[in-house]
Amino acid sequence: MKTVRLLVAFLVLAACASPVPAMAAAKTTLVLGVDISDTRTFDPARQFEYSPPITMRAAYETLVTMTPGDYVRVKPLLAKSWKLVDGGKAWQFQLREGVKFASGNPLTAEDVKFSFERLQNVKDQPADLTENLAAVEVVDPLTVKLVMVDKNQPLLNVLASITFAVVDSKTVQAQGGTSAKDAEKADKATAWLDAHSAGTGPYTLTSWVRNSEVVLERNKSYWRAPAAFERVVLRHSGDSAAQLLALRRSDIDAALNLTPDQLDGLAKEPSLRLVSGTSLDYMYMTLTGSAELNKALANRAARQAVAHAIDYDGIIKGLMGGHAIRPASFIPVGLGGSTEAFTREVGYRQDLAKAKKLLADAGVASGFTFKVSYGKASIAGTSYDLVAQKIQSDLARVGITAELDPLDQATLRTQYKEGKTQSVLTFWNPDAPDAYLWAQPAVGRVSKRVHWAVPKEVADLVTRAGGEADAAKQTALYREFQKILVDQANYVILIQPVYRVATSKAITGYALTAAGWQVDLYDVKPAK
Amino acid sequence: MRLRYVATRVVASVLMALAATLVVFLIAHTVPADPILAQLGDKASANAELVARFRARWALDRPLWEQYAIFVGRLAQGDLGESIASRRPVLVDIGQYAPATIELATLAALLTLLVGVPLGVLAAVKRDGWLDHGARLACLVGVSAPTFWLAFIVLALFYGGLQIAPSPGRLDAGAVPPPHVTGLFLLDSLLARDWPTFRSALAHMLLPAAVLAASTLGLITRTTRAAMLDVLGQDYVRVARAKGLTEGGVVRGHAVPNALLPVVTLGGLAYAELLAGTVLTETIFSWPGLGRYTYQSAIALDFPAIMGVTLLVAVIYLAMNFVVDVSYSWLDPRVTR
Repeated sequence: MKTVRLLVAFLVLAACASPVPAMAAAKTTLVLGVDISDTRTFDPARQFEYSPPITMRAAYETLVTMTPGDYVRVKPLLAKSWKLVDGGKAWQFQLREGVKFASGNPLTAEDVKFSFERLQNVKDQPADLTENLAAVEVVDPLTVKLVMVDKNQPLLNVLASITFAVVDSKTVQAQGGTSAKDAEKADKATAWLDAHSAGTGPYTLTSWVRNSEVVLERNKSYWRAPAAFERVVLRHSGDSAAQLLALRRSDIDAALNLTPDQLDGLAKEPSLRLVSGTSLDYMYMTLTGSAELNKALANRAARQAVAHAIDYDGIIKGLMGGHAIRPASFIPVGLGGSTEAFTREVGYRQDLAKAKKLLADAGVASGFTFKVSYGKASIAGTSYDLVAQKIQSDLARVGITAELDPLDQATLRTQYKEGKTQSVLTFWNPDAPDAYLWAQPAVGRVSKRVHWAVPKEVADLVTRAGGEADAAKQTALYREFQKILVDQANYVILIQPVYRVATSKAITGYALTAAGWQVDLYDVKPAK
Repeated sequence: MRLRYVATRVVASVLMALAATLVVFLIAHTVPADPILAQLGDKASANAELVARFRARWALDRPLWEQYAIFVGRLAQGDLGESIASRRPVLVDIGQYAPATIELATLAALLTLLVGVPLGVLAAVKRDGWLDHGARLACLVGVSAPTFWLAFIVLALFYGGLQIAPSPGRLDAGAVPPPHVTGLFLLDSLLARDWPTFRSALAHMLLPAAVLAASTLGLITRTTRAAMLDVLGQDYVRVARAKGLTEGGVVRGHAVPNALLPVVTLGGLAYAELLAGTVLTETIFSWPGLGRYTYQSAIALDFPAIMGVTLLVAVIYLAMNFVVDVSYSWLDPRVTR
C-alpha cells in the first residue's frame, strides 16, 4: 500500500530527525527562560512593559542607577558625579570619560541631550516620566545640565529608569531617528531599535523574534571589564511547567516565571539555587467613597470595617507561602520611610471586634454588600481569584458580603480607570522608584477613581514631602501621609511580593532588583 | 456554465468573509472596555491629551459605522491597519506568525492522514478484531484528552523524562533561522540546503504536531472506518468479490476510493481548524504562531488584529471548502457530470 510506504518513509525521516539531545548550553552562553509575550518594542522612547527592561538594561545605561535593596540613594553609572545648580533648579552631571557606544562612537553630553529630547518629542507613553524635565543643556562635551520644571518635584531618582537610557545619537539619527519637535511623526528609528541597540551597555541586541526569543551579544567596546558571556538568550516560555522542565534539563540557566509550588519543590535540588528579592510591586484593593456606587462604602467607618476584617497574615502565609510583605498604605516598603515595622505600628490588622464596632458606627451593624471586581490573572503565581475568595470568607465573619466579579483585564482596567467600580483588586508596579510616584497618584488620579475628594492640606503634604531635600524630614512627612491614608481607608494594600527565580548552579551573581529591570545581566557570571 | 459557477462562488466567498468580519466587529465592540485605557500604563491613561491622541490614531473616536467603513476601505487596498498592541501593520504580524502555524498544522494534518486513514481502513476490514478495538481506544484517548494536558504529558515524557525531544520553540535557543524566503523553516532550510537546521526544525515540530494530530486523528479514523463499513456492504463490492478479486484488491480498488469522500470533507475542515491555530499547544511548546497572537489580540481588545485574524480564518475556511469541492470532482467523477 502506497500510504503505508509513505508512512514508513516519514517515520524513518522522523527517527533521523528526533534524537538530537540539545547540548547543555556552553558556558559562553547564558539562557534565561522567561515570558516575553508582553514585549512590543525595545525603543527606550516607546517601551513601557514589564519584561523588556531586562534586555534593555543589558544594552543601555543611564546617568545614575540603583543597586538591589536600596531604592532611595542613586549610584553613579554614566555620570560619575552630580550636583544641584542654579539655586536648586537644575541637576548638573559630570559624565565619565572614555565611555564608548557599541558602535565605537564616544559618549558625549550631546547624546544625553538627544536621548532625552527624543524621549520627550516622540510623545509616546514613557514621555510622561519627563514631566519635570524642562530643558537639557550641554555645558561642555562631558557636562550636561537638566533643568527642572518644579524644583520641589523629583527628577534625580527617576533618571535611573531605563526610559532614560542614553542612546548613540549618531547611530540613531543614521537610522532615521530625530529628537526634533516633530519627532512624533518624523522619527523612524523604532523598527531598527527593535532589532539592534545603540547603547553603552555590556551587551548589544542582535535579534528579537516576537513570542520566541531575544539574543544579545557581548559589547566588545564596553567601558568596564567585558561581560562574562559571549551571548545571552532570553528564551520565551509562557508556561511555567515547561519552563521548569527546561531548567531541569539545563536548556535554560534561570527560570523567571515559576509558581510558588514549583519553587518550593525545587528548594532541595542540589543543582539549583533559588534567589529572591523583595519587589516594589503590590496587589491592592480599593474601596469607593462614592455613595452612588455603594451607599455603605461611602461611609469611612464601613470602609475601615472592611480593612479590619481582612486576615492579612493568612493571605501572606497561606496564599503566598510567606513570600510577601505589606506596607501600611500606598507607599511600598523600601521607600519613603515605609517599613514592615511601620506597618505593624499603624497599618491595618485583623480585629473582628473592632470591625463590628465600626460597622455599628457606620449604621450598618448587620453588615452590607459590595462588589469586588478583579482580573483573571495572577501575581507571583497566586491568582486574584484566590485572594478574592479569601477576602470574601474573611468579610463574611463580620456580616459583610463581598460579591465576586471576575472580569477580563481589558474590561477591568477600563471600568476601574473610569471610576465605575465599587471595589477592585488590582496591581501596582512602578514606573521608576521614587516615593512621590506613589504618593502623588494616591491623592491624584487614583483618588479620583475611588471618589475621594482629597483635602487641600493632604495634597500639599504630598507636595512638601516630594520636594523635601532632607531625608529624615521627608520620611516623617511621608509617614504622616500614610497615616492619613490608613484612616481614610480607600486603599487596602494586601501583598507586596518577594519574587523568586530559580537558577542553575552553573551561574552566579544573579540578583533580583526592584528598580524596574528585574536583573542586571552584567552581574551574572559563569560559576567557577 | 462551469465558469459561472466558479464566479458565483468567488463572489459569495468574498461576501461571506466580509460578513464574518462584520459580525466579529460588532461582537468585539460590545465588550465594555476601551483598548486604549487597557493598553496604557496607569499614569499615561490619566493623561487626557495622550489618550485622545491614541484614540484618534486608531480612529476609536469615530462612530462605529465609520470605523467599519475605514476597515473595509483599507481592506480594499490590501491593508489591515495597525495593531494597537504590537504597533505594527497587522499584515506584518500575521506574516510573521502564520508560517509557524502553517508548517505545524500541515505536519499535523499529514500525520493525521497517514496514520488515520490506514488505521480506519484496517479497523473496518478487521472489524471487531484486536486492531479495531485498539484503534477505538486510541481514538477515544486522542479526542477526549484535554489538549493542554496531553501537550504537557508528551513534553514531560519525551523532553523532560526520556530526553529525546528538543526544547520547546521552533529551533534551539539562539539558533539562527534559515534565510527568510517563505517563513516556513522546513522549506527555507531545504532551499538553503541547510540540513542541520532542517533536522532541528523537524525535530522541534514533531511533538507539537503529534499533539495536534491526536485531537483530529480520532475523527479521521472513525469516519474512515464508518465509511469503509458502509461501502464494504454495498452490492458492487460483493460483485467484485464474486468476480474472484483478492480481498486486498477489493479494498484498494473498490472500497477505499469510494469511502474517501466523507473523509476528505472532514479532513479539509479539520485542517482549517488546525490552521486557525491552537492556543494551548502553542503556549506549552513556545510556538510563535497564530493561536497565541489571536489570544493576545483578543484579551487586549486589539480591534485591528482581531479583525485581521477573523478575516484570515474566514478565508482559510472558505478556501478549504473550495479545495474539498474540487477534490470531490477528482475523487468522484459523477460530481462534475
